Amino acid sequence: MQLAKDNYMYQMVRCELVDAVGAEFVNSGAADGLGHSIDYYWIPEMWHDRGGEPQKPDFIVHPGSTEEVAKVMKIANQYKIPVTPWGGGSGSQGGALPIYGGIILDMKRMNRVIEIDTRTLSVTCETGINAQHLEWAVEKAGYSTMHFPASIACATIGGFLAHRGTGVLSTKYGKIEDMVMSLEVVTPTGEIIHTLPVPRHASGPDLTMLFLGSEGTLGVMTKVTLKIHPIPEARKFHAFLFPDMHTAMTAGAGLMHSRLQPCAVRLYDGPETARLIKRVLGIDREGAYLVFGFDGPEKVVDLQMERACEICRAAGPKEDLGTESGEAWWKNRYKFFYPPYMFHMPQAFGTLDTVATFSKIENVYWAMKHVVEENFPEATFIGHFSHWYDWGCMLYARFIFEKAPDDPAEAAALYNRVWDLAIRAAIREGGVINEHHGVGLKLGRLMKELYGPAMGVLEDIKKQLDPNNIMNPGKMGFKGV
Amino acid sequence: MQINQFPEVMSSCRFCFMCRHLSAVGQVSGRESDTPRGRALIADRVRMHPEEIGNADFIEAVYRSDLSGANRFHCDSYHDGKGYDEIGLQLALRRDIVDAGFAPENVKQVAADLKATESWTVEGSGDVLYFVDPGTAARPSIEKAVKAVLGQAGITPAVIRGGCIGKALNVLGFAADAKAAMEKFAAVVNGTGAKVLLVSNPAAADALKCDFAAAGVPLVPEVKFTARYFVKLAEEGRLSFAGKTGVANYLPSDYLKNYLKCGCAKKLLALLGVQDRMFGTNVEESYTAGEGALVLDRLYPELVKMLAGKIAAQAEPDMPVIVASAYTAGALEAAGLKCTTLEEAAEADLCSLR
Repeated sequence: MQLAKDNYMYQMVRCELVDAVGAEFVNSGAADGLGHSIDYYWIPEMWHDRGGEPQKPDFIVHPGSTEEVAKVMKIANQYKIPVTPWGGGSGSQGGALPIYGGIILDMKRMNRVIEIDTRTLSVTCETGINAQHLEWAVEKAGYSTMHFPASIACATIGGFLAHRGTGVLSTKYGKIEDMVMSLEVVTPTGEIIHTLPVPRHASGPDLTMLFLGSEGTLGVMTKVTLKIHPIPEARKFHAFLFPDMHTAMTAGAGLMHSRLQPCAVRLYDGPETARLIKRVLGIDREGAYLVFGFDGPEKVVDLQMERACEICRAAGPKEDLGTESGEAWWKNRYKFFYPPYMFHMPQAFGTLDTVATFSKIENVYWAMKHVVEENFPEATFIGHFSHWYDWGCMLYARFIFEKAPDDPAEAAALYNRVWDLAIRAAIREGGVINEHHGVGLKLGRLMKELYGPAMGVLEDIKKQLDPNNIMNPGKMGFKGV
Repeated sequence: MQINQFPEVMSSCRFCFMCRHLSAVGQVSGRESDTPRGRALIADRVRMHPEEIGNADFIEAVYRSDLSGANRFHCDSYHDGKGYDEIGLQLALRRDIVDAGFAPENVKQVAADLKATESWTVEGSGDVLYFVDPGTAARPSIEKAVKAVLGQAGITPAVIRGGCIGKALNVLGFAADAKAAMEKFAAVVNGTGAKVLLVSNPAAADALKCDFAAAGVPLVPEVKFTARYFVKLAEEGRLSFAGKTGVANYLPSDYLKNYLKCGCAKKLLALLGVQDRMFGTNVEESYTAGEGALVLDRLYPELVKMLAGKIAAQAEPDMPVIVASAYTAGALEAAGLKCTTLEEAAEADLCSLR
C-alpha cells in the first residue's frame, strides 16, 4: 500500500499503530525521518551530502515489548505495508533503509536485560539493547559477552544478529552466531515463536541459524539468550612486522594451525600498515604488521604467547615489535573508527569484506586488489585480515577514492561498479559476498551469483514465512515491493 | 548562520555513531533525532537548505537535547576544547533558530520568565560571597549546609540572591539577552569587593568560569564551586571532616565532569569518607536527568520524568545517592529516588563529629 499523508488511510493506519504501541511511540516527523533515511552505507550518506531528498519511512514505530511488535506486524500484514527493522542504524550495507517507505520498526526501546544465568553462563536480553550497554551490564555481574566489535557503542544486539556480526575477539569466542543459545522471533505474520533452548541438538534443522543473518527479511528477533564468559585473569598481545603480507600470512596461518587458540589475530597489508598503523598507533614501518593476543589464566597465556612467538619468529619476521606495540593496538582498537581517523566525505570508500580458506584467501586478496587498482587507478586499496578460523580468515579490504564525482548519479555508478568488479573477483577465487557486515541493499544484486540455484531455496523460505513480502523487501537479494 | 562555525562537527558527527550509547534522551525515546548524529544531520540539512531552519520538528529535536556533554567527553577526537564539539554545534543551532525568529512558544515563555528574574540582592559583606541561584534556592537545605560548613571554618559569607545570570538564556539560544544578564550580574558582584564567589550550582560555576570570559564580561572575584572550596579549606587545615559517610553512589554532574572536567567532588567525597560505588553499569553515562540543559524540566517535563525514571530504576535499594546539583536532586526525588547533595553530605559528616 502506498501511504500519503493527505490520504485518510494514512490516518487510519496511524491510529492502529498508536493503539498498538502508544501515541508517543509512533512518529512521522521530519527529524526522525531524516535520521532513519541514512545509515552507515556510503550511498545514502553521499545522497545527503549532495543535498538530495531523503527516502523516509511513513511511520517510525518504537515498540516496547514483543507483544507490541506482534501487533505492529499484524497491522502491517493487514494493509501490506513494508516493515524495516532498525537497531542502532550503524549498518554499512543499507539493510535498515526504508527504501519503500512504510514502517521503520525501531527496536531501541526493547533494551532490557532479562536474566543473567550464572549457572549456565548466559544472558537473556531484548534485542534492542545497545551492545555496549549489554556488555556493561554483564561486566557488572562479573562476566563478559566477549563481543567487542568496533561498533559496540553504536549497534544493538539485534543488529549483530541480523547480519551475523563479529567482534575483535572472534578468533576465540566466535562470531555472534557462535554466541547465541536461542531466540525469540516475531514472524512476518505476527506470531511469536521460540527456537530451541540450546544451540546443539539433533532435533531437526537449526531454526536459530535460519534467522541469524536474515537481515530483517524473515521476521523480527525480539529476545536472545547469549553465552557469557568469565572475565579472564590476563589478556596479552604481541606484534611482529613481516617483510611482506605472504610471510605474515604464513605466520598467522601457523598460529591457527597450532590450535593455540588466540583470542585475536590481525594482519595488516603493507599499504594499511603504512597508512593506518602509522596514523593511529604511531608505528612508522614498511612491511606487514601482525598482532595477536591470548587471554585466560595468566600462566596459560604466557605459555601460549611463548609458543606463538616462536611460530612467528620461525616464519621470518622483519622485526619483533614486542608486547608494547601489541598492547597499543588493543588499547586503540576502536580509535580507527572515530573521525578523523575513519574515512569520510568527500572520500568515497567501502569495506570489501570477504572470507575464504587459507588456501584461497591470498588469491582473493590479490584478485580484489588487482581489479580495483587496474580499473580505478585513482583509488587506493588497503586491507587487513581480521577474523581468523581454524580453516581460513576474513579479509577486510577497503577502497578509497579521495574524492567522488559531485554528481550523485555518477558517484553512485562509480561506487557500485567497484563493488560489482571486486566482489565478483572474490567469488571467482573462492570468497563470498561478505563475512560480517551483511548483504543489505548494497550487495543484494550479487546474491544470485553467489548462491546459484540455492538462492531459490532461500526465496522459498522467504515466501513461506512472509507471504505478503512485507519484511524488509528489496534487501538481501529478495524481491522488492 | 552560526552553525557554519562548526563545519567539521557537522561533516563528521552527521555520519558518526560512535557515541550514541551515551545519548540519555535517545535511550529513553528511541529516537534517532535524540542522538548527536541525528542532531548533526539536522544542522547539516539546515546548512544546505537554510529555509528548513523553521521546520518545527527539527526545532523540537534540537531543544529536546539534554546537553550532557557525555558524548563530547567520550569522543576519541575531543580533547581540551579541541575536536568535535557537538554541544557547541547544538548551541549554535539554537542561536540560529532564535535569530531567525523560530523559537517555539515554550522556549520563548521560559526565556521571558528568566529575563524577568534579572535582579539580585546582597546580604552582608566580606571576602566570600555565596551566590544562591534560583536552582539552589529551590532546595534551602543546600544554603543551610554551606553556611554550616563554612561556619566550622570560621567563615560567614555574604550572600547574593537572585535570578538568571545568563546561563539558561545562553542554553536556549538567546545570546544577546544572556550577555546582558551577565553584565548586570557582574556589576553587582564586582561592586561587593568580594574575593571569592562561591556557587553550589555546577551550571552556574560553568557560566561564571567559562561563559563570562567567553562573552568578555570580567568578574573580579575568583569563582569557586562549593565542593572545591570545602576541599581547599580542608587542605589548609581550616576544616576537618569526620570521614564517616560510608558506602554511597555518587552521580556526577554533567557540568563538573563533562564541561569543567573538575575532580573536586570526588576529592570532597574522599574527605567525607564516601566509599563511592559505581552507579548503574558504567561511569560514562549521564545520570543527571537533563542537568546540562538547565531548564529541560520546564520545556519537556515528561521527557525529564522518563530520564529520571530510568535512573531511579537502576538505583540499588537503601544505597545512599549523592548528587552535585539541586536540579538533579529535584528530578530524581520526583521519581522517588532520595538524594543528598554534596553540600548536604558535607554538613552531615561534620555533624557526626559532634
